[in-house]
Amino acid sequence: MEFLNLVLIFVTAFLVLRAPGRERLAFRLLVISTILMVFLFTMATRTGLLPGVNY
Amino acid sequence: MAPTSTVHQGNPSSVQHGVLFTVLTLAILFLTLVPVGTAVFWLGFVRGDSPCVMCWEQRMGMILISLTGLFVLRFGPRPKYIGMAILIAGWGIFMGMRHAGMHGARDIGQGFSLEILGAHTYTWALITYWACVLVMGALLLLVRDEHLQPGPRTLRGLERFAGAAFLVVVGANIVQAFASTGPPPFMGQSDPIRFSFNPRYWHWSLEEWKPVTLGLRGRWAVDKPDLATVVSDSTGGPLGTLPVLAVTERRPLGLALDGSPTDIAYDAATDQFLLTTATGVYLTDGVLGRIQRHAIIDAGYSVDIGRVAGVAFLDSGAVIAVGENKSYVVLRPNGHANADSNFRYFLASRDQFDEVTRGRFGTARARLLYIMSAAYDPASNSVVTVTFPNNKVKRLIVSRFSRRDLLLSEEYVPTIAPSSGLVLAPKRTLDDLAITGAAVADGQLLALSAAGGTLLTIDLTTRQVVAAHTIPGLTRPVGIAIKGGALYIVDDAGGLTVVARPPRM
Repeated sequence: MEFLNLVLIFVTAFLVLRAPGRERLAFRLLVISTILMVFLFTMATRTGLLPGVNY
Repeated sequence: MAPTSTVHQGNPSSVQHGVLFTVLTLAILFLTLVPVGTAVFWLGFVRGDSPCVMCWEQRMGMILISLTGLFVLRFGPRPKYIGMAILIAGWGIFMGMRHAGMHGARDIGQGFSLEILGAHTYTWALITYWACVLVMGALLLLVRDEHLQPGPRTLRGLERFAGAAFLVVVGANIVQAFASTGPPPFMGQSDPIRFSFNPRYWHWSLEEWKPVTLGLRGRWAVDKPDLATVVSDSTGGPLGTLPVLAVTERRPLGLALDGSPTDIAYDAATDQFLLTTATGVYLTDGVLGRIQRHAIIDAGYSVDIGRVAGVAFLDSGAVIAVGENKSYVVLRPNGHANADSNFRYFLASRDQFDEVTRGRFGTARARLLYIMSAAYDPASNSVVTVTFPNNKVKRLIVSRFSRRDLLLSEEYVPTIAPSSGLVLAPKRTLDDLAITGAAVADGQLLALSAAGGTLLTIDLTTRQVVAAHTIPGLTRPVGIAIKGGALYIVDDAGGLTVVARPPRM
């Protein structure tokens, strides 16, 4: 899934740098990549979502 | 391709205009090349490091912040870009805390994967996100109205270089991600094997997709000790039918304490009992008839003592009160104590004791267990605690702390001595016991369990349970003291039970 997200990021950066007229699409991809990052981290830590230390 | 606007030049505002984007470009380059570029080219391709799944997402967050920076370079500092960057950095700080929290309390130098300049990579991620927030705040101070333009900007040379560097670094990450995590639905792993360009050594995993129980604090979600959850039935202990200790006296304590008793100890040298409540320490006469002096501890000053759960006489008249969380306070009786000086230590009765020290007992096996008992062993000059089971861990662990430095000297799980003749009932273990009282005499630890009303005798030299007895009629006992040939047991309702001490085994 990290591979997929990095490809999305690469495409987004390409749009920003080489096709700025596609700003709306690029920003949507940025949001999707961010959500995917949050989702994957949450998946990896879902047995203990908070830092495992004393509070 | 859409038309682009150019940067205005030749007036003071355009100079400032250029400063903002130059600084931003340098920040993007730094974030792209130093943490992310180093991670993929040096740590990954050269040293063979593979990020774990959490490291991957932390790296991803940095890349996304750089990407929002590219958006700003191209389209200006629009609020939605700033908002995304702050959201990503905020989440990144959380990821860094979550990851560093797994290893931050380990022994010196320990951690996960590689160390850079004295800190492991996930710690640097936390610092990097924090620095991103600071840099973003500083850059926002440079934003002026003229920066907010409707159309895209024409990128300058350095900005184009930053864009190209970003694509190269992300491209390299794509290569590493494909090799070490694989295409969807494969994803990063908790313990990835080292990176290799050779497909023979690629390992793709679906382990993170397996169903697991959701939780906020995981194994750290430990409930505080609650005697209400303990069954006192003396016939339900794990050791089956045991010899019964004869009860010689049962009566209310009848002392004016500030709450329910939490432990008791006895000192033959002074013929005094020591009683505790959640925050109170009481010295009484040798028949528990009169309180001679007391103090109410400020349990929240400096070291959080919490609820006092164990107490013992130490050497030279000092006493130690230990909280459920194994934090402790050492007090020394003083009839001329300065009440004003002691304001910080005590909530009430400030002129009866002096505080010697307070601190925290650290354990290894018992880290995730609270305690409800403490005792002093004069032979080894040590304080002994025994764990109390909880909703996550059921383990009877004896910890011994040197009186000299109040640090852990020994820790073990006692076993049953073969010569004792004790036999565990089917599917039962000593961990089923809930030790709430402890006392030491003659090299033996007497550990009283509120569950089953069982009294264990543990030889402190062999670390084995050499005898066990049942004490009938106990309800929520919280402490035990040895006085001569008798055991004095207090319960949380303020009752006192005196039983004959078992013969030394």
